[in-house]
Amino acid sequence: MFPTPIERTQPRTRFAYKVFLPIALILWLLPLLGVALTSVKPAADLDSGNYFGAPSRIAIENYWLVFKNSNIGYYFWNSIKVTVPSVLVSIGLSLLAGFALATYSFRSNLIIFFMIVAGNYVPYQILAIPVRDLPININLYDTTLGLALTHIAFQTGFCTLFMRNFIKALPNALIESARVEGVSEWRIFCYIVVPLVRPAIAALSVLIFTFVWNEYFWATIMSQSVDVRPVTAGINELSGEWKARWELISAASILTAAPPVLMFFLMQKHFIAGLALGATKG
Amino acid sequence: MAKVKLSGIRKSFGQSEVIKGIDLEIPAGSFCAFVGPSGCGKSTLLRMIAGLEDITHGSLEIGGQEMIDVAPAKRGVAMVFQSYALYPHMTVAENVTFGLRMANHPKRDTEQRCLEAARMLKLEELLDRKPSQLSGGQRQRVAIGRAIVRNPDVFLFDEPLSNLDAALRVEMRAEITRLHAKLDATMLYVTHDQVEAMTMADMIVVLDKGMIEQVGSPLGLYHEPNTLFVARFIGSPRMNTFSVNLCDAGDGNVSCMLPGGSSIQLDGSSLRTGKATFGIRPEHLDVVADGHLQGKAVLCERLGSETMLHVDIGLADPITVKADGLTNVTEGDAVGLKLNPKACHLFGPDDRRVRSGSLQ
Ligand SMILES: Nc1ncnc2c1ncn2[C@@H]1O[C@H](COP(=O)(O)OP(=O)(O)O)[C@@H](O)[C@H]1O
Ligand SMILES: [Mg+2]
Repeated sequence: MFPTPIERTQPRTRFAYKVFLPIALILWLLPLLGVALTSVKPAADLDSGNYFGAPSRIAIENYWLVFKNSNIGYYFWNSIKVTVPSVLVSIGLSLLAGFALATYSFRSNLIIFFMIVAGNYVPYQILAIPVRDLPININLYDTTLGLALTHIAFQTGFCTLFMRNFIKALPNALIESARVEGVSEWRIFCYIVVPLVRPAIAALSVLIFTFVWNEYFWATIMSQSVDVRPVTAGINELSGEWKARWELISAASILTAAPPVLMFFLMQKHFIAGLALGATKG
Repeated sequence: MAKVKLSGIRKSFGQSEVIKGIDLEIPAGSFCAFVGPSGCGKSTLLRMIAGLEDITHGSLEIGGQEMIDVAPAKRGVAMVFQSYALYPHMTVAENVTFGLRMANHPKRDTEQRCLEAARMLKLEELLDRKPSQLSGGQRQRVAIGRAIVRNPDVFLFDEPLSNLDAALRVEMRAEITRLHAKLDATMLYVTHDQVEAMTMADMIVVLDKGMIEQVGSPLGLYHEPNTLFVARFIGSPRMNTFSVNLCDAGDGNVSCMLPGGSSIQLDGSSLRTGKATFGIRPEHLDVVADGHLQGKAVLCERLGSETMLHVDIGLADPITVKADGLTNVTEGDAVGLKLNPKACHLFGPDDRRVRSGSLQ
């Protein structure tokens, strides 16, 4: 059996496993644990220097105090307004582009595909100035639309690469057999390709949702006003408002991290791939 | 039911020419099998007829109409793929009716046709299943059902049985033959398995390297192969062939020098002297004490009804003899082989037939 169950390995391996696994886990989770712990400490604990110890009591009220004492509610809403359209549009566009690149052989097919792949390797930081100038010139600077368009532009390339390869892996005979039956290309796309790449759509949605939601660089560059700033940039502002109120910043951070995790669990059942198996072979 | 006519069909993928000029007329209602070794262009030819590949050169008529610029769906053809190509996210019924539904065909009639096809193919109980819950043979039947509901003039099959196990293949062979009789449609059937072609088709097209080697009925190809390629391809186990020297024996006869020194006189050969290839099928060799050929049995495959003897007569490869199931020859025995002169084929240096061993 692979891997060999740990109970059946040599004593030395078993010992190493028992020692190093917890250490690795703790190292891995320590920052998160630290933030979670801080987020339920009363302000008094931090004032008296209890940074690393256990909280004197569980101060769950931090989680609503942060809403009361800051604009974080707005920031959350701003994040949703940017992230959801970004995910929908990137995935929609990449499905269309991926379908074309995977199923049609036209002369520039590979060139376009390689350009999209190459584009993913350009460090986006070097584009900061022109990408900021463009929305300023067309009056989209510091708007939700401007920020969403920026994200869409940067994410669609990666999504297309992913989708193209996923659609390419579908048995070509499925598409051809529909063509012989006289089904239009658009309907083949809607009724055959999209349902069959559902696991890819789910995985990519979660990934892009997480990317865009957690994004900090463009969020700080492209937005200033309270009506536009996403929550990642908004938290940064909190540290300026209350210099020492780390318990609120921690609570805000935990809240910010929650939606991508939630997204993952919501989409989980769609990940179950293997739907295409049994499609063609006996 | 429609006739299919190919004239001067050629196909190139980039620089390489895969189909090198095919002229063929398939009568309406016939069951035509394309056979040939893997890679000879059978699938490509079928896909061109279906409209899935462009035809580089030539003309294609289905039912008397030019089809080069006609979309696949408008050609009146339905194709059954080797891989079945069932949509995994749809039930059997949805799979079968997909094309009709997408064409906004009247709902009543769609259901009617679906049920009819299901009845014909014994799929009634399976209509609500997904393809992943079906066995290979059932999937194959669904794929055929999907073709039937479209009521095509021409069915195109691309090696539909090659993913099935042997027993199921025999069963499906009979089923497809039965469908052909019932549906009264033209069927074009691609296979690399000559047994399938022989048992099902009324017309066989043997292809090699993108060209037609011979067109004929199953028995026509078996008895009178035009070329060495067809002679070896049709029939199982395949025909024994070895090279011989011919010399004129007068009276219209030629004398063939056989391996081992003896000779046999044959009539009706158009080639009188020189080198030729001699061909005789395993079933036309008789084991006798003292025959035209002498050799040693190196392998006996006992199949019950018959025994396949592999006899080393001093050539590079042993020759195959189909002997009686109860033959008492065992490995290592010396055997003599008698040739039936009526069953001896001769092929000239260009591998074309110079004498046929059609048993007549
Ligand atoms: N899309 C393609 N591009 C390039 N070559 C191809 C393509 N399809 C088939 N071929 C070539 O054409 C030849 C015939 O293929 P095919 O018709 O599939 O053979 P068969 O079905 O008789 O086994 C093969 O040599 C194959 O490599
Ligand atoms: Mg093939």
